[in-house]
Amino acid sequence: MTATDHRRVELTVNGAPLAVEVEGRTLLSDALRHGAGLTGTHVACEQGACGACTVVLDGRAVRSCLMLAVQAEGTEVRTVEGLADGASLHAVQEAMHRNHGLQCGFCTPGIVMSLVAAAEAGCTIDDAVDEVLGGHLCRCTGYVNIRAAVADAWAVLDGGEEDR
Amino acid sequence: MTWVGQRLPRLEDPRLLAGRGRYTDDVDIPGLLHAAIVRSPVPHGELLGIDASEVDVPGAVVLGPDELNAACSGRIPVVWHMPGDFQRDHPVVDTRVRFVGEPVAVVVAADRYQAEDAAERVLVEVDDLPSVVDTREALAPGAPLLYAERPDNVMSRWDTGDSAEHTAAVFAAAERTVSFRLDLGRVAGSPMEPRGIVAVPEPDGRLTVWTSTQAPHAVRDTLASVTGLPQHRIRVVAPDVGGGFGLKDHLYEDELMACLAALHLGRPVKWVEDRYETLVATHQARGETVDVEVAFDLDGRLRGLHVRAFRNAGAYLAHFGGGPLFTLAGMVPESYTWDAVRTEATVVATNTTPTGSYRGFGQTQAVFVCERAVEVVARELGVDPVDIRLRNMIRPEQQPYATRCAPITYDNGDYGAALLRAREIASAWPEPPDDGRLRGLGYASYVHMAGVGPSQGNPHVGLDVGSWESAIARMEPDGTVRLFVGTSPQGQGHATTFVQLAADRLGVDVADVELVHSDTDRSPYSAYGTAASRSIAVGGGAVVQATSALADRLRRIAAEMLEAAPADIVLGGRRATVAGTNVSLTIAEVARRAWQGWALPEGDEMPGLECRFAYDPEQYTFSFGTHVCRVAVDPTTGIVDVERYGVVLDCGTVVNPTIVEGQVHGGVAQGLGAALLEEIVVDGDGQPRTTTFLDYLLPVSASVPDIEVVLTETPSPYTPGGMKGMGEGGTNGSFACVANAVAAALPADAVRDLATPLTPSRVWHLLHGRG
Repeated sequence: MTATDHRRVELTVNGAPLAVEVEGRTLLSDALRHGAGLTGTHVACEQGACGACTVVLDGRAVRSCLMLAVQAEGTEVRTVEGLADGASLHAVQEAMHRNHGLQCGFCTPGIVMSLVAAAEAGCTIDDAVDEVLGGHLCRCTGYVNIRAAVADAWAVLDGGEEDR
Repeated sequence: MTWVGQRLPRLEDPRLLAGRGRYTDDVDIPGLLHAAIVRSPVPHGELLGIDASEVDVPGAVVLGPDELNAACSGRIPVVWHMPGDFQRDHPVVDTRVRFVGEPVAVVVAADRYQAEDAAERVLVEVDDLPSVVDTREALAPGAPLLYAERPDNVMSRWDTGDSAEHTAAVFAAAERTVSFRLDLGRVAGSPMEPRGIVAVPEPDGRLTVWTSTQAPHAVRDTLASVTGLPQHRIRVVAPDVGGGFGLKDHLYEDELMACLAALHLGRPVKWVEDRYETLVATHQARGETVDVEVAFDLDGRLRGLHVRAFRNAGAYLAHFGGGPLFTLAGMVPESYTWDAVRTEATVVATNTTPTGSYRGFGQTQAVFVCERAVEVVARELGVDPVDIRLRNMIRPEQQPYATRCAPITYDNGDYGAALLRAREIASAWPEPPDDGRLRGLGYASYVHMAGVGPSQGNPHVGLDVGSWESAIARMEPDGTVRLFVGTSPQGQGHATTFVQLAADRLGVDVADVELVHSDTDRSPYSAYGTAASRSIAVGGGAVVQATSALADRLRRIAAEMLEAAPADIVLGGRRATVAGTNVSLTIAEVARRAWQGWALPEGDEMPGLECRFAYDPEQYTFSFGTHVCRVAVDPTTGIVDVERYGVVLDCGTVVNPTIVEGQVHGGVAQGLGAALLEEIVVDGDGQPRTTTFLDYLLPVSASVPDIEVVLTETPSPYTPGGMKGMGEGGTNGSFACVANAVAAALPADAVRDLATPLTPSRVWHLLHGRG
């Protein structure tokens, strides 16, 4: 196919099947935002540098601006919209709220998705701060309160595991 | 319960965390078309036109310079005029291009991909002219000239402070003098959300505009004056805005082009810039060259400060013109008493992106100039720079203090106490390991003129718009409250802090109050919006006044209903209670009576429950504080690590300490970035070299240490509620603080002159010389 040929892509998004009509060149970020209406995934650089567009694809955090939608055929994608259980936010989201880990909120969904993927993969708190948060740009918070939120979220998640 | 002062988690968070924020690019309209902008590929030339004959995208529409200018009945204004300015406005497209990235045409197509395809095939026809990008080169005889009106590229030139004669006399009488040069790197404010706009021509002839802005009314006013549409036919809405930092304080030419295209086609049009465009076309900041001369006595007494400051304006004057340099000149005395302070200011045109508003707006530079001067003097004398500061600081009993830069008069505060507290913070830090790195401890004390401001003074400084704020507090019949304000946030948490202010006055819960903002059809007028650290100081003052007036009204009505005196009615816990009794009504019962409209107190019979108050401050507010940090410099690589950071801040009454600390953290990170990492580079041919976040380096988590913040509270004598503005203060302090710490780690002779950012390469050369 060429860049502008149209193609139907089928994938699973937040647990539900999704079929979108895209061009070969359509970025996954654009397909999610403008094809599926999932505008919680934000695009801030389209250069793979900032991490705002991060989604979880087959369990891994990926930058949806660096992937073509057609590459996501048959995959399972999770976006920020799929995290909360009804009105109940995910532990990472709750920790960001408690610790004032967001201001304008534009980079936030990408950071949250990276941290959720890291937590699920059993990442240590040090790696979550150094490696995972280290891959994101935030212009508002100076990262101080995001690091506090990571510590808080990891404490909650670890506590939860011990309870089980 | 008292809400002010509580660490209330932000009320706006849950929606943003769940991905349910609505930013400009999230706005979707049936039939929406998408725009891409055609930009100048060259830094300077006569614009002959465009050639769109190669555009092969079906349905694409191209509007070139002629069509765009023909669609405009007015020009884009500059609202702050410096002495000697010649540029009061500019057209949407000029007959010359003056920087790479300058917008010259707009292309509209069915989607963004196709619009970019089409834009790539539009040829910009330019007769190249020689270009100049460096401030000093632009001032040199024989330099390429940007404007026929200006034979020397000087956009404006003026003096601030003491006369040349007085300054010379003070310098002659002082025991020593020292001079040095500061070159401040040019920076890009870089909000994470790029600029964007959605223009929707409505069936009734109105124009609705969704845009990522800090100042919806300013955008509306410019749109009206440029398109010829009357102001009441235009609605501008700022939805969620992903950071602004000053850059989004007005309507840009490319945004206007998207609106003109929508009006031309009668179809909704969206344009959102990409990061390349953000880094070449969104206004940049700083880039000043400053020559500093300091006079002092051997006992450490500071005598005179003589500053020659040159601002690289870029291709044309931005919305607030030479304002940042005016502010630098006004605030450069900072925390100290001087016998003479004089600034000679020059704004220079070059073939670069225009420089405009950015967090600090000249005050970051003022702190840098003054606090470098203090440190240089301390090293010349071989004394502790903290002692030099303490010796010369304005003391609380000297307040209010009229500075040498009239009419600026500081309000109150103990500057020395903040400095001593900062020294306490630093003295508790553990000794660094002996790892071969050089350590430097740096301080920066500052006074922050915050909260623009008293409108009555604006005409005297060339500012063409008012800077008051108003608020409308409306209590609904069920006792819930809608609070309408003119300020327009981008992450500052107004939906929490303004609500805290209101809930205290009205005796209701924060859950009972909703903030309405950022929509010119609903929110009261504000020429400034949210910028200049003014929202809590001016907008908050209006909120306090409007809700206090509403509370008075509630007390009068409740008193009538309870047969008590209004002064005896206490509002709290959603009830109006007669003091000292258990006789009370719910607030909702009182509100319902006001909307029923009968049996209201004599002399206060107007039905309904809504109060409006316009607050034009009598004076600016002056928050203050001291930053301290310790850096480690690796002598083999020049890499600087900021190891420890402390802030003492006094911004008057603190409405929400968590939010204030968050503003400090973010501000510190931005000043630290400018001190160490961030630099817009334009090569000698006028081509930008920093066009991605891989070239233009923002601080990452590892760049910014944890920050110890101590908040003290000296309430403003002016603001209703006592608040002072503080949003820019973190940046104002940290840029100088980090630079001072790096300089302290290096030999004195190497760092008298200083250029920022202090990148590893620059630091290595400062240590090892150029050879």
